[in-house]
Amino acid sequence: MAVVRRDILRDDAARAAYIHGVRLLKHEPSSLTTGSFGIPGPSRPVYTYDLFVIWHVLAMNTAVPPGGDAGVRNAAHRGPVFLPWHRVLLRWLEAHLQRVLDDPAFGLPYWNWAADGSPAGPGGVANPAASPLWRNTPDGFGGQGAPVRGGAFAFRAADPTSFRVRIAANSSGALRQVTERGLVRRFGQSAPFGSPRLPRTADVASCFDPKADPSVTDYDRDPFDVSSHGLRNRLEGFVGPGLHNQVHLWVGGDMAPASSPNDPVFFVHHCNVDRIWEGWMRRNGRRYAPDMTAPDSLLGHRIDDPLVSPFAPADKPDTPRGVLDSTAVNSYDVLP
Amino acid sequence: MAPDTSDAAQPAFLATYLAGLPRPEHGHPGPARSVREADVDGHRIVIATSYEITVDGRPLDVHIGLSNDGSAHCHGLPAYQLPSLVDLVRVLVHTFPDEFPPPTTGHDDEAGPDTDHDTHDHAHHDHTAHDHTAHDHSEPDGGR
Ligand SMILES: [Cu+2]
Repeated sequence: MAVVRRDILRDDAARAAYIHGVRLLKHEPSSLTTGSFGIPGPSRPVYTYDLFVIWHVLAMNTAVPPGGDAGVRNAAHRGPVFLPWHRVLLRWLEAHLQRVLDDPAFGLPYWNWAADGSPAGPGGVANPAASPLWRNTPDGFGGQGAPVRGGAFAFRAADPTSFRVRIAANSSGALRQVTERGLVRRFGQSAPFGSPRLPRTADVASCFDPKADPSVTDYDRDPFDVSSHGLRNRLEGFVGPGLHNQVHLWVGGDMAPASSPNDPVFFVHHCNVDRIWEGWMRRNGRRYAPDMTAPDSLLGHRIDDPLVSPFAPADKPDTPRGVLDSTAVNSYDVLP
Repeated sequence: MAPDTSDAAQPAFLATYLAGLPRPEHGHPGPARSVREADVDGHRIVIATSYEITVDGRPLDVHIGLSNDGSAHCHGLPAYQLPSLVDLVRVLVHTFPDEFPPPTTGHDDEAGPDTDHDTHDHAHHDHTAHDHTAHDHSEPDGGR
């Protein structure tokens, strides 16, 4: 039975369960150590939650096609697989959360950031830092800080059960160990360091409005990169109002580097990105581009190419086509 | 007890898969290079750009890519695509302060990570407020 993904701003139980599950995964040994992943420094255990940080960093350093330039397109970003690859990542995290929570009905909550980015009423001013998401209570995410000092992910140097960043990416995007530091968030920095605002409801609506941009009825368009027209690049945020990218920039701190899954807000953010994609498919059909007639230069981004993800059995890899319809596994309480 | 690497529900399965992925190459000796290609009227355009970037006199060893619209990006900052390479390097220095030691003293104070800094004074970058490795003692991670 498909689990239901709910709004973290409105569902206290879903938020509390997510936080509890993240803390369990953050302390569950994955069976391997940092050396197994080629991370320099002394060998330290790698915990299940941190596997998702490693996965994101490795995928975005993986050039597709092999031998290409990961800065043009990679296995996770800057091209058509952005949405399918992150959908797979979320599905794996959700499965591990279900396991540690011993709750097969648990659905990953989503953060409808446009609600926090929009003024409450006409003439009002949005105040995203005041969102209930960032409450400093044990069932809140805590607000900004270097390190974050409130909420469930607060850093307390003397308390080894408090939230820590252990593996991060450096300025080259390479994995490295960090010792004994907490999570960092820097809300609303000005350009070029960040973004002073979150996307608004009208920005999300632009994904569904061909009157504003006729290309949004297409999933993606040639040249299938950061200059493309179409839904994918508008939602990823390299064209249009910024959307996905802008949320990373507004939160700042650990949400800026390649290791952005270090901040638990990453997954509820991407769950909302996935929800917007699902809302687009409800209107436009489960369509994807490019298909398999696209040249080898787009290998890794075509509809039947394998995604950088584990799968079993090995002869049935995850592909963009394979994840276009995941309604048998999960659904959203409300689609935009 | 050997971890179960065949059960996809167990963390060892994902861990083993990730440990087997090819390791990305980092470190690009020599000046960074970006190659842009385009076609027009049946002709092939290739623009190779080399640039040398230093911060405090030290070469910046980072792969920066230029897109065809002239904007710049780098692996270290996936959600950023900036019209100015200067701004991109400013963001790198600001985001990874521990990789750019202060040029004057060469040594940071012993401030821990509890150096919060709620006024966002980015024009006057306060190194200690962001430095997370100044106290990088080699203790095992406390999160067991
Ligand atoms: Cu993201």
